[in-house]
Order: sequence, then C-alpha cells, then structure tokens
Amino acid sequence: MLTYTIISGLLFGLFCSLMGIGLNLIFGVMRFVNLAHGDFLMLGAFGAYFAYTFWGLSPALALVVEIIVMIAIGALIYYAFVPRLLRSRDPEMLSLIFFFGISQIIQAIAVIAFSNNPRSIVWSALGSANYQVLGQGFQESWVVSALISAIVIALVYVYLYHTKIGYATRAVMGSQEEAASSGINVHRVSAIAMGIGLALASAAGTLSPFLLGSITPNMGSDITTTSFSIIIIGSLGNPLGTVLGGLIYGLSSMFMQSYVPSWANLVPYLLLFLILLFKPSGLLGKVVRHA
Amino acid sequence: MRKHLLYGAIVFVVVILLFTLLPSVYSNEDLFFQAMVYLALAQGVNILYGFTGYLPFGYVGFFGTGAYATALSITLLHIPPIPAILIGGLASVVLGILLSPLLRLSGAYFAIGSLAASQMVYYIVSNPALQNLTNGPYGINLESVYQPRASYITMIVIVALVMGVVIYIRNSRFGLALQAIREDPVSAGMAGIHVVRQRAMAWFLSAMIAGVVGGAFAWHISVFYPTTVFDLNISIFAIVFTLFGGVTTVLGPVLGMFVLYGFYNVIGISEPQYFQLIYGVLILVLVLFLPSGMVSLMKRRGHYVP
Amino acid sequence: MKSTPYRVLSRIAVSGVIASAMTLSGVAAASAASKAPAAPKQIVIGTLYASSGSFAQSSLPQYAGLKFWVNQMNQSGGAYVKAFHKKIPLKLVAYNDQSSSTTAATLYNQLITQNKVNILVSDFGSVLTSVAVPIAQEHKMLLIDPTGTGDSFFSKTNPYIALTSLPTSGVWPTTLANYLIDKHYKRIAVIYDQNDFDQSQATTLTNKLKTAHITPVYNNSVPTSTSNYPVLVHAIMSSNPDAVIELGYPTNDIPFLQSVSASGAKFNMLFTIFPGQLLSSMEQNVGVTSLAGTYTYPTPPLLVYNNVNFGLGMNAFATAFSKANNSAPNFLDVAGYNAGLVIQKALANTNGLSQLQLRQSLYTFSGKMFTLDGLFKLSPTGAQIGETLPVAQLVKSGNGLKVNVVTP
Repeated sequence: MLTYTIISGLLFGLFCSLMGIGLNLIFGVMRFVNLAHGDFLMLGAFGAYFAYTFWGLSPALALVVEIIVMIAIGALIYYAFVPRLLRSRDPEMLSLIFFFGISQIIQAIAVIAFSNNPRSIVWSALGSANYQVLGQGFQESWVVSALISAIVIALVYVYLYHTKIGYATRAVMGSQEEAASSGINVHRVSAIAMGIGLALASAAGTLSPFLLGSITPNMGSDITTTSFSIIIIGSLGNPLGTVLGGLIYGLSSMFMQSYVPSWANLVPYLLLFLILLFKPSGLLGKVVRHA
Repeated sequence: MRKHLLYGAIVFVVVILLFTLLPSVYSNEDLFFQAMVYLALAQGVNILYGFTGYLPFGYVGFFGTGAYATALSITLLHIPPIPAILIGGLASVVLGILLSPLLRLSGAYFAIGSLAASQMVYYIVSNPALQNLTNGPYGINLESVYQPRASYITMIVIVALVMGVVIYIRNSRFGLALQAIREDPVSAGMAGIHVVRQRAMAWFLSAMIAGVVGGAFAWHISVFYPTTVFDLNISIFAIVFTLFGGVTTVLGPVLGMFVLYGFYNVIGISEPQYFQLIYGVLILVLVLFLPSGMVSLMKRRGHYVP
Repeated sequence: MKSTPYRVLSRIAVSGVIASAMTLSGVAAASAASKAPAAPKQIVIGTLYASSGSFAQSSLPQYAGLKFWVNQMNQSGGAYVKAFHKKIPLKLVAYNDQSSSTTAATLYNQLITQNKVNILVSDFGSVLTSVAVPIAQEHKMLLIDPTGTGDSFFSKTNPYIALTSLPTSGVWPTTLANYLIDKHYKRIAVIYDQNDFDQSQATTLTNKLKTAHITPVYNNSVPTSTSNYPVLVHAIMSSNPDAVIELGYPTNDIPFLQSVSASGAKFNMLFTIFPGQLLSSMEQNVGVTSLAGTYTYPTPPLLVYNNVNFGLGMNAFATAFSKANNSAPNFLDVAGYNAGLVIQKALANTNGLSQLQLRQSLYTFSGKMFTLDGLFKLSPTGAQIGETLPVAQLVKSGNGLKVNVVTP
C-alpha cells in the first residue's frame, strides 16, 4: 500500500506539474493571474477527445498539434488585448477580471459546441498494459501520461535555459524594466510566453481524460484553483519550482486518499497555506516582500 | 471637505431609498436582496482592496463563515436571528484574526492565499466528521425563523452601515493613512502611520462586513448547502463589481453592482440562451475600454467622485 | 372541498357561463363571469433549468421532459381543469439559473412575483431545489419538485411541496441493503461522496447492515470533487471485499468504474448509482464491457412498468419523445414528463386553482395513479413513497446493455 501510494503520487504529481507550469510561466513573465487556465486545459481535453473519437488519433499526437495551435492563439490573444490592459493603474489585478471574462466566454462557447454531457477517452487509448513496479501493478495510461508530462517539462527547461529567447524570457521574469533597457523586446517575449503557457495548459488537457475522470465544459474552474495551489507550493513565478509543487501535491493527495480519504481535499490547501505563511515565496522561491 | 461628505451622503441616501422603495414598484424582493448582498460585499472588497491594495480572492470564506455561525447560533443555541447575525460578524472577525498572518503576503500571493483559506474553511464545515456540529454536507434549514421581510429590512440596515463606514473611510485620516500605506508602506511608517495596526483594522472591518452579510443571507435564504454559501463565484462577483465600478470611492462599487448585476439579471431573464457568452463579452469590453472602472469616466472630466 | 350549497351554485354558474359563451355573445359571458371566478386564458407553469455548470447534464433533460408534456397538452387544446370544466392552454416560462443556487433563488422569486405562475416546478436535484422550498412556502405556492430528494425539505409544517419522482434519498438503499444481507455478503466496502444525496444513502445502508451485524470492511467518504480513483480502488482492494458499493454523482461513478476496470480488480458485486439513470452516457464513458456485470438501481426507461393507468406508457413515450427531440429519453426526461403528468392529473381533479386546492387534489389520486415512472404516492409531508428502487444487474445484450432486476 505504501509503495503503491508513493509511486502513484509521483506519477500523478508529474502530471500535476504539467498542469501548473503554464499558469506559472504566464504569471512569471507578465504577473498576470490567468483565471481561464483551466478552461484552456478543458479545450485541450476536448481536442484530444475529438481527435481520438473521430479520427482515431492518439492523444499523444493531439498533444503535439495542440501545442502548436495554442502557441499561435496565445500570441494572438496577447497582441489583441494585453497592451491595452497594461495601460491601466493596476494591470496585475485587472488581468483577473479580464481572464474571468475570457473564462466565461470559453465555457459558454464550449457548452454550445460540445453540450454538457461528460465525455471520456477509453482508458486503454494510452496503452492497456499493467506495469509491474516493485510488485505493484500500475495502469499504463498513468505511466505514459507521467512520461509525456516529464518530456514536455524537460522541453520547457530546454527552452528556458538553452535558447536565446529563453534567456530573454528569464530576464523579463527578473525585471521587465531592466530587460527592456537591455534591448529585449518585452512584448515579443511575453507574447511567446503567453502562447507557451496556454499550450502547456492544453497539453495537460490532452492527458486529463486519463487522470481526472470525464471531461465537461465546466471542469475548468476547479482545475484553475488546483493549479494555483500547485504553483504556490512550488514557487510563484518560477516555472521549474512547479515540478516540486506538482510532486508534493500529487504525493500528498494520494497519501490522503489512501489513509484519510474524507479529508483528501483539505491537505493541498493546508499545505499551500502553511507554505505561504512560513515561506511565502514558495519552497524554491527567493524573498519578495519588503514591508 | 464638507462638500465631499455631502456628495457621499447623496449616494448614501439614494441607495437606501432605492432599496427601500424598489420592492413596492417591482415585487421580486429577492432580486434586490441579492443586489444588496453584492453591494455590501463589493464595499467590503473596496475597503480592503481599494484602500489597502490587498485583493481577497477568498472573501467568500468570511461570507460562508458568517452564514454558518449565524445559522448554527439559531439552530443550536436558539438565539434570535438579529443577534445571531452579529455573532456571524464576530465569527468572521475571529477567522480574520486567525488568518491575519496572510497580511504579510502581497499581490497575487495574498489573493491566492486567501482563496486557499476560504477553501479550507469550506472543506472543514462540510466534512461529515463535524456533522454533529455543522450538519456536514446536509446543510442548514432555518425555516422556523424564516421571515423574508424582516431579513430584507435587516439587510437594508447592514447596507446603510456599510455605506456609512465607507463614506467615513473615504473622508477620514484613517482612509488617507490606508492609502498612504498602499502606495508605499515604508514611507508611510516613517511618516508616523502605524502600518500594521491600520492595515489589520481594515482587514477585520472587511471580514466583519462579509460575516454580517453572510448571516443576513443565511437568514433570508434559510435552506442551503455548504456549496451555496462557499461558492467561489460570490467572491468573484464582488471583486468584479468593485473593480468595474472603480475602487477607493464610495460610488464605484455602487455603480459596478447596479450596472453589472443589473445586466446579469436583464440578460438572464430575457435572453437565457447565450447568457454566459454575452456576460463574458461584456466584461471583456469593459475591462479593455474602461480599465480604471466606470468612475474614471467622471474623473477624466475633472469631476470629484465621492 | 366540501360540497356546500354555495359551491354547487357556483359550479352551476360556471357551467352556465361556459354554455352561454358557446352559444351567446361574449358580452353576456363577461357579465356572468364576474359572479364566479372566471377561467384563466392560460395556465402559467414556471420552472428553472441550468444550461451550464455542474447540474446541466441532469437539469436539461428534466426540462426537456416537462416541455415535451406541455407541448403534448397544448396540441390537444390544453389541460383539462375540473374547476372550469374545460381545457385551458398551458404556457411554460423557464429561466436559466446556470447551476447557481443564489441565482436560482432570485429566479424562483421572479417566477412567483413577476410571472405570477399558477404552478411552480423546481429545477433538478436537491441543491437547486433547496432554495425554492422556503420561497414557495412564503408565497404559499405549491412547489412541484421532480427530483429534489433532500430529506429536510419535507416537514409537517410545510404543506407547499410535493415530490413527484423518486423517494427521498435516505430511502433509496432499502432494497439494496436487504439484497446484500440476503446474499450473505459479509465483506462489504462502501465509498460515498460528501453531499446530502450520497451520504444520506450511505447512512441508511450502513445502519441497515448494522442490524444484520455486518460492519463494512471499508467505509469512507470522499469529497464530491474527487475525480481520480486508482489509489482509492487500490485501498478498497486491499480490504478484500466481496461487494463494493460506490455512491456518487455521474462525475464520480465514471472515473470510479474506469479505475476499477483499469486495475483489473474483480468483485463479486460492484454497485454504482448512475448507470441505472443515465445508461447511454455511462456506456459512452465507461464502456459496455466494463459496465457489464455491475449492479445499479434501475429506473425508467430501463425499468418498464406495464400497469400504467395514466399518461403514455414507456414505449409510446420513448417513441414520441425521440421523434420530438431527436434523442432517446433518459430517466430525467421521464422524471420531467412525470412531473407534468402529476400536474395534469391534479388539474383534472382540482376544485380551483388555489395552491392548497391543487395540493388537496394531489391526495385524491395519491396511491392510485400509476405512470411510466411507477406508483405516485405521497406521504402526508409531500414526500414520494410510491416509487421504490429495485436492484438490478447490467447484462450484455447485443451491442448494448439491459437490466436484469434481481430484487424485489
């Protein structure tokens, strides 16, 4: 039971990391709280569902296509709306309402387009084998999902630390003003970050039918809240801290489910709360507050 | 200064008159009751966010706590509704004291931290382990004290008090001190403002407002489940109305609530099919074209906004 | 109502009005009508539905069922109202509460105060019905409650509610518990969600088992938002149960059944609630093979009653409904239609359109009316006690599933 719980927690945790990382990237670069994060994830999930049901495409393939499409959509959203948003007194907070509006629109359109009935992809679509790890059987869909999550996260790492635009992105995360004064095109970097952020959300979406049960147009709000906990536990504004946050979140929720299921929902928030109080910048964060 | 107070008083009188008279023109009292709930909550958000810069994403936690504390005082302790509502307010202040370390956080950290706190309260209240105390997931039934007219009048009184408090803050040294802290806590401290105490005052005040409003709501709606009073949308509505109208003013949240909640109901009652879509687009358009809220229209023309 | 001389006279007057309206000029009718209550031009039925949010999947079909009934009535010239001895057209007013109970409260009030509905029908389920209970009582409106099965809604002090389908949720597991005891299952696992609907069932179930000296080997609640079950299923498996009972909403049943199937676990008996209510949706999400062999509470249309004495029978309803809506009905469509049938019968037996007259009318046929949804019988508090929920096993039949009722 213990080993089963730990391994499930790690597998689920990797997926959770992927779920939060896009939200954190956008926050890190733009200081925007993307309240529609879960709704973009939901779109990704429906994309995978339709690709699988109508064309028999594997969710892994849908994931690749969606990443490309979503980068374009994200950049588009950025250029269409964000420069205007930045002119207000407190863009960070105004972005909340902005994304709340986007979230309403996405949900409304999704209900019209997909109806309210829950949908699922057969759990065996990512493989039906049962892997034996340390004498315990794990369903292949979890293992494959975790693996895909790890690959995508690794790609984010490569992007941030081994590409030129990635350096620029990290510079913008550090300080927009300094980055701008050293000749970085902040708008371009931010637009790409927005695109990648949404793409990562939809990538997690393609895997969600295997980890989060059936998909519905209104699944987004809860996922946004969960993603918040994950990125805060890791560290807000530090995309790679999210990996740690995701693993802790995954492990703690699986432990609760195994041993004290009736309080399973409380722990992630308790964890988040304690971390906020004792290490406000997250487990991997630097000190941010001065007064 | 006296003129400013007068403007505030005019807004106050208009609001209270409207809520007193409207039910006799249009008999859907519940509509106006909900409007008052959102107005009072929006003003509570205004006190905290507008004057101190802390955005309480989990504001509904105080609302739900107030609702439950009131309901349980009535069902378990047999206290009459109005004192029970005061207990609801007190319970929220106690929660505020417990959560006051959150004030060490800033910006989005605080917003999300308060969200986590409200979810925690919700999961504790609704957990079957506390069924003997809170009735767990079975919710609350206050039918024995249900008196919609009395709870409506109580709510008018609460709105009046809340509006009064906001007008006071807007025109007092306390409000100025809070704004100074918001802009630059370090220099405010050096200028002799007791930063921590003033900020905590605003926080408790705002918690108490949500608690009392939650209590009146519980009395008015009388049969509800934990999900009803800990619905995250309540926070989001209050915040959106406040920001939309314009913060740090008395008038802003009033305008925001009347326009957006008005739209919400007009669309909802006439064109239910694309309801959510229209509402989303409306919010988007307003954010993009009126980013500092509706009151900025008046400010831009050089008018004073109470 | 007692047949006082005044009533007899007024009834004669009413029939006189109708007769004269048919033969004489309208002016004569108007002057005569002022003496007795005039028949309304239409009967307004008000309800709410949720087009989005967590209850949409169940709320929309319930609304579709009610709408189907209204259209059917109006095609035949309206519903017959005994008090006026004639058919009166129906008008359905419906608002969208988007699964929010606060919005629902405002809209119920809107229906009562602004639309002045004659009959108020609540939205799907306990959460959206809860806020209507005190509002209806305050305005002295009879709340026709199709599926809000919360126990606390029904009390001796409130005559303004009537549950038309399904018993209150605490009663649901009665036959299930008896079946488990009869089958001598000793190792029983119960996992349920933290909400009124599921927890009240779990409480009844474990209490009944206790009287047979059975203590579940696994008995835990999980938050209603739980959507992944592999670890829970693993924990249940390690308690080594014969029978596993999962009490949840569709969004819980689906991932639970998926996880059981993916884990390869085999239990002698596996029970979930919603395959019996939303079979086609469950088939799509869980798969026919995974569902085959599991147990559920079967409901119409899976359960077909042959002794229907009011309204369409199941097959006729399914055909007509499919034709009108381009989709086969599920249980909630039946529940919505059944609420309509109850209204229809109430109008056909009522002595007037006042709310207490309507309620009284319900009791004139309580225990006697048999619809496609089963026996309609109200307890004195307005709760439904006629319909019972049997236990059935799902078995493969062709490409789909059918139910095999095992008890009673």
